[in-house]
Amino acid sequence: MASPQTSATRVIPERPWRRLLHGDMGGRILLGTLAVLIVVIPILNQGVSPSSPFHVSDYTVNLLGRYLCFALLALALDLVWGYAGILSLGHGAFFALGGYAMGMYLMRQIGDRGVYGDPILPDFMVFLGWEQLPWFWYGFDQFWFAALMVLLVPGVFGFIFGWLAFRSRVTGVYLSIISQAMTYALMLAFFRNEMGFGGNNGLTDFKDILGFSLADPQTRLALFVASAVALGLAYLLCRSVVRSRAGRVVRAVRDAEPRTRSLGYRTDHYKLWIWTLSAMLAGLAGALYVPQVGIINPSEFSPLNSIEVVVWVAVGGRGTLYGAALGGALVNYAQTLLTAMIAELWLFALGGLFVAVTLFFPRGLVGLLKRREDRS
Amino acid sequence: MKRSVRCMLASLLLALGLIAPPAGAADDETLVSNLRQLNEGSFDDKAAAVRTIAESGHPRAVPVLQALLDSRLYFRIAGGGIVIADALDAGYSVTDPVSGEALGEATQYEIRRVSINNAVRTEARKMLALAGLSSPDRQARAQAVERLLASPDPAIAERMEGLIDDEPVAGIRRDMALAIGLARLEAPEPATRLAALETLDGSLRNRVRNEVRRVARNDPAPAVQARAADILEGIEERRDLWGLGEQIFFGLSAGSVLMLAAFGLAITFGVMGVINMAHGELIMLGAYTTYVVQLLMPNAIDYSLFVAIPAAFLVTGAFGVAIERGVIRFLYGRPLETLLATFGLSLILQQLVRTVFSPLNRQVSTPEWMSGSIEINAALSLTLNRLYVIAFAFLVFGLLLVLFKRTTLGLKVRAVSQNRAMARAVGVSSSRIDALTFGLGAGVAGLAGVALSQITNVGPNMGQAYIIDSFLVVVFGGAGSLWGTLVGGLSLGVLNKFLEPETGAVLAKVLVLVFVILFIQRRPQGLFPQRGRAASEG
Amino acid sequence: MKGNKRLHNGVGPVLAAGVLALGLGSNGALAQEDPIKVGILHSLSGTMAISETALKETVEMLIEQQNEEGGLLGREIEPVVVDPASDWPRFAEQARQLLADDEVDVVFGTWTSVSRKSVLPVFEELNGLLFYPVQYEGEESSENVFYLGASPNQQAIPAVDYLMNDLGVERFALLGTDYVYPRTTNKILEQYLMDNGVAEEDIMINYTPFGHSDWQSIVSDVRDFGGQGEKTAIVSTINGDANVPFYTELANQGVSASDIPVVAFSVGEQELAGIDTAPLVGHMSAWNYFMSAPTTENVEFIQAWHEFKDDTSAVTNDPMEAHYIGFNMWVEAVRRAGTTDVEAVQDAIIGVTVPNLTGGYATMMPNHHITKPVMIGEIQPDGQFSVVWETNGEVAGDAWSDYLPESSDIIASWRAPLLCGNYNVETGVCSGQDYGD
Repeated sequence: MASPQTSATRVIPERPWRRLLHGDMGGRILLGTLAVLIVVIPILNQGVSPSSPFHVSDYTVNLLGRYLCFALLALALDLVWGYAGILSLGHGAFFALGGYAMGMYLMRQIGDRGVYGDPILPDFMVFLGWEQLPWFWYGFDQFWFAALMVLLVPGVFGFIFGWLAFRSRVTGVYLSIISQAMTYALMLAFFRNEMGFGGNNGLTDFKDILGFSLADPQTRLALFVASAVALGLAYLLCRSVVRSRAGRVVRAVRDAEPRTRSLGYRTDHYKLWIWTLSAMLAGLAGALYVPQVGIINPSEFSPLNSIEVVVWVAVGGRGTLYGAALGGALVNYAQTLLTAMIAELWLFALGGLFVAVTLFFPRGLVGLLKRREDRS
Repeated sequence: MKRSVRCMLASLLLALGLIAPPAGAADDETLVSNLRQLNEGSFDDKAAAVRTIAESGHPRAVPVLQALLDSRLYFRIAGGGIVIADALDAGYSVTDPVSGEALGEATQYEIRRVSINNAVRTEARKMLALAGLSSPDRQARAQAVERLLASPDPAIAERMEGLIDDEPVAGIRRDMALAIGLARLEAPEPATRLAALETLDGSLRNRVRNEVRRVARNDPAPAVQARAADILEGIEERRDLWGLGEQIFFGLSAGSVLMLAAFGLAITFGVMGVINMAHGELIMLGAYTTYVVQLLMPNAIDYSLFVAIPAAFLVTGAFGVAIERGVIRFLYGRPLETLLATFGLSLILQQLVRTVFSPLNRQVSTPEWMSGSIEINAALSLTLNRLYVIAFAFLVFGLLLVLFKRTTLGLKVRAVSQNRAMARAVGVSSSRIDALTFGLGAGVAGLAGVALSQITNVGPNMGQAYIIDSFLVVVFGGAGSLWGTLVGGLSLGVLNKFLEPETGAVLAKVLVLVFVILFIQRRPQGLFPQRGRAASEG
Repeated sequence: MKGNKRLHNGVGPVLAAGVLALGLGSNGALAQEDPIKVGILHSLSGTMAISETALKETVEMLIEQQNEEGGLLGREIEPVVVDPASDWPRFAEQARQLLADDEVDVVFGTWTSVSRKSVLPVFEELNGLLFYPVQYEGEESSENVFYLGASPNQQAIPAVDYLMNDLGVERFALLGTDYVYPRTTNKILEQYLMDNGVAEEDIMINYTPFGHSDWQSIVSDVRDFGGQGEKTAIVSTINGDANVPFYTELANQGVSASDIPVVAFSVGEQELAGIDTAPLVGHMSAWNYFMSAPTTENVEFIQAWHEFKDDTSAVTNDPMEAHYIGFNMWVEAVRRAGTTDVEAVQDAIIGVTVPNLTGGYATMMPNHHITKPVMIGEIQPDGQFSVVWETNGEVAGDAWSDYLPESSDIIASWRAPLLCGNYNVETGVCSGQDYGD
């Protein structure tokens, strides 16, 4: 997406990715950590005996994989919130749409191993008495098609929503509210069994992906690695986007939209494409998430989920990309820890986090670290 | 059958009316054995026992049947003796059903209720209603006739015929005539049936409609059938018309809930430009205040709302001021951050309520005067709680309007919202006004909570259900405009209720959401655009 | 895992003996000290906390009682409590944590169908034991799950039988929340009613979303539907929160139990605790247990519960009884097997019979469902039910409904030689199970 002419103005260092990370310490650390994880985790999981203290259990691998998906989702949100100033309270919807697209593929992979043994129809359709597959389920037996849809469905949906919103200059809190209404409406719609997405139960009971059993620890390890790679690549992509000329226009929109507009930029176009890109990344995160948790259900669309993503980004530090990814992983880690210890405390902690971050650390964890760096 | 009913009626009259013969030991024994049958027999036996008890003429018959209906008739798990039990704070005080003497107390582990089913209950009600027909109290008579209308039989009709001419109240006479007419639809002569049909013409009652429909379908005489069909058509036509009225009422009621929930938001969001995501939780706090008020005055539920309304306003208002002083004032001009911080507060408030009151829903009682419905006619009755909520919504609207337009505080609020610097320059303490305005918005949310406690669940999640709807109403109506909120709330409510029969509840809601989203794209400022901080920000 | 399991059956005894020997040899002495771990997987926060918190406490109480009696196999029982927070993916995550990290011997938990479906693959993969305490839609039988709640033939079908035969109801309004339990139940009922000669236009079906609070139009529709002359009843599969406004609206629109009675499948003592029940007297619920059951076992259970909660107004309900039955069955099975080993318990538990709280017995059937009495109770002013009808003896739970065309040929039996939760008697195929790789 990065426009090629940006590079022309600068002295070109020999490796483009190095230029991309120029001055981006956080990004380097992030990518470095991911690279280490990709190498070390499989070794600790597969190569070390389970009795050893260094062994990483399948459960942990699974957990880490999910944190990475959340980090990717947070990254996607930071792209629009941190750089374009669009606070989306509905990014969970794109995540869920991507998840559903993947879920539909996994559902069709079950084939005749469903409880009713129908080679085509998923179980929930059989017992709802559906005679044939609805048209929008066609093609999802092919991985390439599903993979395409993982990006296209949230992308197109985001595009339409964004096109309507940005064209009529719905901004600020209005946009936040209608994006929340959007995910709420989708949640209600997906809860309906007539929609053909399994209603409240959603899609579940997946068996395998690309022929590999999902119950297999190696498959899960592969999914973990895939999530890490996806996060890394997405980071590089986002980085190149925000460093591009278009990225700078987008930032100008964030800081003073009317002024940018009067300079002759079609601000709505810039916002629209960064919004669509972000929706697609969120969809990708959802698609990686679903096979790792084994279920996708309309509650993923719940407004609360979307707004939680916002706090991940805020905690990590908005407008830095790597900070958002860090926040996504860290807050979820804290949640796993806290709910395991004292369930009641979690909502207090989460709520307190919202307040504290906005009041005292508007730049998030990254901001804190930076400030310390600056001082020393 | 007929004879036995008449015989029973005679004895009932004897028992309940005027000359109660002194009850002997033998009567007591029969009553005891009937009570035993009431507990141990099959439900048919139980119904028979109810009849026998009513027939027996025992002076305790009515209190016993009443106790049975009120589910106060119990038996001891050990021994099976029957008692009338009244709940105490812990356990029960028990009395002897036959003598009426107190028998001390029993714990909940010692006694179990005598089980009856709807058939037995209906029988007992009918028996008591029959007794009530000759009651001197007109209300009791009206209720008795109403009850008997549900199951008219020839014996009852006959009895009413004997009473109808002496009945002073016209309404009761009319209902009696209906009951008699309904019973006569079973008469063997077509002419009687035809005459009976005429007495039924014009009534909108369900029961009447059903009977007429049955006659129109099944009557052996074609003339009767045809007349019945005629009458039925008239009834249906009028009922349809009233049905439309009902739908509008439903819409207004749904709309008034939206509007009430949104007023507070219209103030904080519209006037101040503050996105308060904890708004739903303030509504919830208002509802919980109602609950607490009712806990504190358990013997005066009927008046509790009058205490709860100011209490809720003050409690949530205080929370509002605290939120404004503690959090929001640091975030003015940063609406998105406010949104996040207040969302955090909403989570904290939810969990707080869960910790303090348990995650279970709390029971808020509806005062007697708000229960039931007023009957416009037999086809349209307006449920009282909804009606009061509509009225309350308009009252709040009126008060807010007066407050904003006619008081100094209102003037200052408007001044600050339109031009903060200027207002300060003329000596308005803008930070005080900010706190007060936010407190007002929160207080109004509390009022909404009181109203909602009367029509829906009071639980930790109740706020969540309203926050998105309220935002949409405010945005749809036009931020900062009370009129916009009024019109927005009502029209979304009515739209929803008219869509619902066509599409089902879920899709109706989705369609309304989509409609609002599209509407905002076309008119970002809503129905009633308003100048204010929010407007300049947006 | 299932695939591996099949393999075990072939090489079975040798391997099993080996594993057993290893277990005994390596830490036989320690085993005496190690507590038996019981996982409790119920939401303690979020929307489902309303219902599930009491179940978690029930299991804790049962464990406490068992420990007072000297534990099990001479070992202490230790509860391991987690909070899935009403979040379905988190159910799967915490199930995995319980089985893989905490290595619990058995799990009691989940409430909604979606949470059960979400953890099911985890239990099958890691070969755990789950005792599921809530009435559900059926159409499932897993080797690793024991279904203690009613399946539709233990609740819904007897209830409409009662409506048709005892109350003479001819028209049925089936109202439900839009999720799989009401959908399936209503589908079964629709078929069943039509088989019994009820015309299609005499059945009304309506679905509402979770937490639906504005029942004006629907109640009005039902009133209209019920105003056609024939006796009408509402069969409600409305879930949780939506019930309070539903019943309030019924009362306000003057629909009393003698006009249009409601028989509900998801309204128990716990749900009524949040409602003013005076206007609801006479409406019904169908369950397998009511708190008002006048048996000594029940009174003792209630007394123990009150002591445990330190609250004499705490209510008991059907899913709590299900946990009571399930826990006792598991204890008995472990005793018989002499170990908490999953496969041994799976073998031993089939046929185990324990007393229920209503004066009868519950037996674990080979399809992993249990026998239960079916009762209809009418609501009383104090929020309790009084039983107005009861089946003759217990009904065995049916995993696969006979009234759904796609499952009428399917049976389940986890006893040799079938060992299949989804066996089609027509085609002789065991489907829906992992074939192995």
